Amino acid sequence: MCGIAGRILNAPGAVGRDLVALMDAQEHRGADSTGFAVYSTPLDKGYVLRGMGFSKVRIDADLETFRATLKEHGADFTSEPAIVSDTSKHYSFRMEISDPKNLQAWVADADELSGHIEIQSCGRSLEIIKDVGGATQVSEKHKVHDMIGTHGLGHARLATESSVLPNASHPFWARPFSDVAIVHNGQITDYYTQRDRLRREGYRFLTENDSELIAVWVSDQMKQGLSMEQALKKSINSIDGVFTFMIATPDGIGYAKDRFAMKPLVVIEQMGELAAATEEQAVRTVFADECDVINYDGPSQFGIWGVGNRSMAA
Amino acid sequence: MSEIVIEVGKRHIREINEEIQEACKTGKPIRIVNTLSRHNLGVGLPDCADLTFEGSVGYYCGGLNTGSKLTIERNCGWAVGEGMAKGHITVGGRAGMSCGAAMIGGTIHVKGDTGPRCGVAMKGGNIVVEGKIGYQSGFMAHSGKIIALGGAGESCADALWEGEVWVAGPVESLGVDVNVIEPTAEEVAEVDAILEPLGLVDTSRDWRKMVSGQRLWYFEARDASAWLMI
Repeated sequence: MCGIAGRILNAPGAVGRDLVALMDAQEHRGADSTGFAVYSTPLDKGYVLRGMGFSKVRIDADLETFRATLKEHGADFTSEPAIVSDTSKHYSFRMEISDPKNLQAWVADADELSGHIEIQSCGRSLEIIKDVGGATQVSEKHKVHDMIGTHGLGHARLATESSVLPNASHPFWARPFSDVAIVHNGQITDYYTQRDRLRREGYRFLTENDSELIAVWVSDQMKQGLSMEQALKKSINSIDGVFTFMIATPDGIGYAKDRFAMKPLVVIEQMGELAAATEEQAVRTVFADECDVINYDGPSQFGIWGVGNRSMAA
Repeated sequence: MSEIVIEVGKRHIREINEEIQEACKTGKPIRIVNTLSRHNLGVGLPDCADLTFEGSVGYYCGGLNTGSKLTIERNCGWAVGEGMAKGHITVGGRAGMSCGAAMIGGTIHVKGDTGPRCGVAMKGGNIVVEGKIGYQSGFMAHSGKIIALGGAGESCADALWEGEVWVAGPVESLGVDVNVIEPTAEEVAEVDAILEPLGLVDTSRDWRKMVSGQRLWYFEARDASAWLMI
């Protein structure tokens, strides 16, 4: 059991605050870790990186090595790394970088350092913040409450398939594709087989978490020419298990539900804005009035909520 | 008789339920306000209460009810009336997944639709749904009746035991091991007797009564054709 959430605003606003509220209301579904994917106004060039390092005594050395991989690909930091750490073993960082000549090639090289330092999101718009603990704890540590953006995802994790580790928290970035993130509630039962197939095609997975598969699987389908909507539809019969997942890009949020209708999804849409969550009581923290909710509780449902001039497909 | 008003808001659920239990002892009607779709409201009520939930409630509302009358003015989340033994629950809006799961008696009346697996593993009582029942409703129902006036979703009445699913309106697909039979006039009269107090009798309905085909009951493990039904 996990809790997931999505939020779309009409214009850049307090999406961090809303996502924290949505996840705080669902903390009973899983307080092992909490994560957020926030989409803000895209950069014209360069990327925002969010990541994590696993040895605080090696911060300077690891970041320097990391920076060297970037320079080998014709890019560099354009902002000083902002480090967040507490008494835990790991630390988190945020920085902006210029454009590598080939983003995917650089990510592949940078991922060689993943035993020490790990990229958790890379995007012109996307920032993924995740850590162990509940929504309020993670928000206070990483200042998620103050983040401004147009839309985003949230996740509260009850670990079942892999360890409680900060980097095994959701959301997952669809490495190496920029600006794609997923959150998932459920269990993927054939993830090892599917992951093995994608690994043979050159994709890299950095955790043992089953949900990491979904991000890369959907992006791989889109790379092969499917639209996101087509990929979401295909996922229902191609990925085995019980799931409701949401996948976000700078253009919106897509969702898909398994064939067995096991995992709920509740949505309130009002004045062009939208909140989605596993539980109705969570979306009511954002829309306080007794407004109508839409329950996506049938089997094999999928669709996309766009940002801006939004359209829905189901 | 004046009513007792109980505020939900962000208070602790255990504190609210204790207040409801105390209010039940007065015999006065109880109105629960500012419900905010909170979970576990009104669970384990005694055989004396008359409660109205003003707004929507979350999961398990009215679970383990032993005879109280509950009215939920709007929607409810998962498993309204789960395991209830007696009493009557009215849901003004829609009910989420597993409405009436494992209930053994009483009546749940949903004015809207229900989510998936309405009446899953129910062991008695009646669920009346004015709208449509969701995916795989009636799954493994041992006894009792699910009566849907607005149709049914996919995999309807899957793997029934001795429960019955009655549907007026379209059925998207049947579950495994279902027999659809033409009900007798006496059987229709029994259903109408359940609908009559709710003001829902309509003699023009074209009923489909679904019962178990019994091929999955204690089936022989070597019977491949029975296995393949699943």
